[in-house]
Amino acid sequence: MKIRSSILWLSLLTVPTLLAGCGTGGSESSSAPTDSDSGVEGGVVTIDFFNQKPEITAQLEELAAMYEEQSDGNTEVTITTVGSGEGSAALQARFSSGEEPAMMMLGGLPEVERYSDSLLDVTDLEVSDTIIDGMLEGGTIDDVPLGVPLNIEGFGWMYNREIFEEAGIDPEAIKSYDDFAEAVDTLESQKEALGLEAVFGFSGGENYIVNQFSANFTSPEFNDSIIESYEATELDWTYGDQMKKYTDLFNEHNVQPILTVDYSRSVEEMFVNDKVAMVHQGIWIVPTLNDIDPAFAKEKLGLLPVYGENDTEGKIIAGAPFYVGINKNLDEAVVEESKNFLDWMYLSDEGREMIVGDLAFVPAQEGYEPSDIKDPVSSELYQALLDGETGAMTHKQYPDGWFQQVLYPEYQKYLTGEQSWEDFENNTAEAFKEMR
Amino acid sequence: MAYYWLFILPSVLAVSIIILIPLLLGIGTSLTNSDGYEATFVGLGNYIDLLKDRQFLNSLWFTLRFSFVAVILVNAIGLGLALLVTQKLGKFSTLFRTIFFMPNLIGGIILGFIWQFIFVRAFEGIASATGFSFFSAWLSDSTTGFWGMIIVFLWQMSGYIMIIYISFLANIPKELIEAGYMDGASNWRAFWSIKFPMLAPAFTISLFLTLANAFKIYDVNLALTNGAPYGSTEMVAMNIYNTAFYQYQQGYAQSKAIVFLLLIAAISLTQIMITRRKEVDL
Repeated sequence: MKIRSSILWLSLLTVPTLLAGCGTGGSESSSAPTDSDSGVEGGVVTIDFFNQKPEITAQLEELAAMYEEQSDGNTEVTITTVGSGEGSAALQARFSSGEEPAMMMLGGLPEVERYSDSLLDVTDLEVSDTIIDGMLEGGTIDDVPLGVPLNIEGFGWMYNREIFEEAGIDPEAIKSYDDFAEAVDTLESQKEALGLEAVFGFSGGENYIVNQFSANFTSPEFNDSIIESYEATELDWTYGDQMKKYTDLFNEHNVQPILTVDYSRSVEEMFVNDKVAMVHQGIWIVPTLNDIDPAFAKEKLGLLPVYGENDTEGKIIAGAPFYVGINKNLDEAVVEESKNFLDWMYLSDEGREMIVGDLAFVPAQEGYEPSDIKDPVSSELYQALLDGETGAMTHKQYPDGWFQQVLYPEYQKYLTGEQSWEDFENNTAEAFKEMR
Repeated sequence: MAYYWLFILPSVLAVSIIILIPLLLGIGTSLTNSDGYEATFVGLGNYIDLLKDRQFLNSLWFTLRFSFVAVILVNAIGLGLALLVTQKLGKFSTLFRTIFFMPNLIGGIILGFIWQFIFVRAFEGIASATGFSFFSAWLSDSTTGFWGMIIVFLWQMSGYIMIIYISFLANIPKELIEAGYMDGASNWRAFWSIKFPMLAPAFTISLFLTLANAFKIYDVNLALTNGAPYGSTEMVAMNIYNTAFYQYQQGYAQSKAIVFLLLIAAISLTQIMITRRKEVDL
């Protein structure tokens, strides 16, 4: 029975071999080759930019190429992209392995704080003077701004204007929670005539959607302030009743089973094909909508605020999901050139054209006309932002892992009736305190 | 003697670099509160916290239940398939072997997504077409989440385990079985009294492989349920990953990993010891 033991040993040995295979494969694909790491070589300054938004990789690379060209070959900008929720982990791996990027996108204050020892104070950058009031806040640690907002995004109830019109609802006339609930009832009563599968297509199967939704109700608790929510050691769910009211409303009129509705079904199948009237989403879905139906975003898309604080004051949550930081611990030439690149990206004519053009950003800078922004919803958002009528992205400031490990599962339990709202509030609040 | 060491040097190096050194570093990390960036020594604090971590204990319990059911079913189905395709089927024998083995060639992530589609969309379609409520709302509660994971794992692993059983079945001396028939044994009797004991070494290997695989499964888990609904299908490997990379508690995650390692090692070694004792030498 020699054969038996050798097979056993062989199978044991394949384990490390397989692991080794994965190991090298992984590091080869995720880390840039050595010659593209940040540094100075033969007079050429190389900037490595760590990108966490895969959907803008092509545009960033184009920007990088444009910048390289105008620097007469003295600068090289490489873009490394890791996204889809794995960006933070990959960035950390870059830092702990010593391959620190020169510039990086950071999502939220907890991430900015983690690298605060390596991040440059951006006060002196020209671009910092042009940022819309309050928008630097989300990248500020101990009163020092350590990142420049990449762009502005906002979310709320995205609705289909055409369906609302057909049902005889005037979205402009929705001025309170009661108006909103009434509109939902109207839609529900005409569901079949409108060809709807359900009124709402809320993605109960995506943790980040639940997280974003929660911001409507935690933002007023923290006075619409990012810093305050970041420094908070407790979450009291002061506006929890409001959240419960909304939850019960959409859960009753949603596509079921709500827990298996994922992003792609909610947006790419049902919302864009007029099968649901509303989804809780943000303006980042506009490019996707454009890909599927170029007319949709222009003609049918609207954004309704959420009445999070009380029944009459509706707000859209807006803010910068990512901040661009510069690594100050690298070669001085690299740091200088990174600063120049960032200023150029936001202030040069080519850069600005790219921002509102191919990148289709809602800029975090003043000095654009709302009409510069192509799609109507983004333009509305920019206007609301200039007017200061938006809530803050408090959901980006929760303790690390809290929304994935606590908020989302606990909320799912409420959605399926597994636990009461009271338990939901208590469990999440307790964990919030513990994890902070 | 010098050659001896020279020849095993590459393996020793590979194993040290890939397994031993990281393991030692890991044990070190598990005694700190490392966030992957900074760390202070906390002694056995992490291990004490583990005992109070409800989600980790849930994950552990889920993984144990999953592995128990999966190991039994995979081996039952794998052996069943092996017996079927070793019948006299002519050319079809190879065809079936290939078909049964194929799911194993598909990566776990893709497999997870395919089955997610089947459970969520295709099953829902069947439910609305036939009215059988059995097919509705899969993966949206903890029971269907559990069985969903089991079904995908069976689909992935059974063909692989089948191959191992086939090779051992083919090695059973024909004389033994013939002698059994001569003595008047039925097929049923011949299987249980001759083939089954002769397969004991195959059980050792197959059980070990399925046990180890079932315990450390991550890819299928990620693609199929990602722990949903409400974290009830979060297996230990995923719990460890999430602790390390969502909560950035790498020291704590490492202590979970060490406990997990000891547990798997204990269970696997016990299993090997028990099944080995059942093996018969000719």
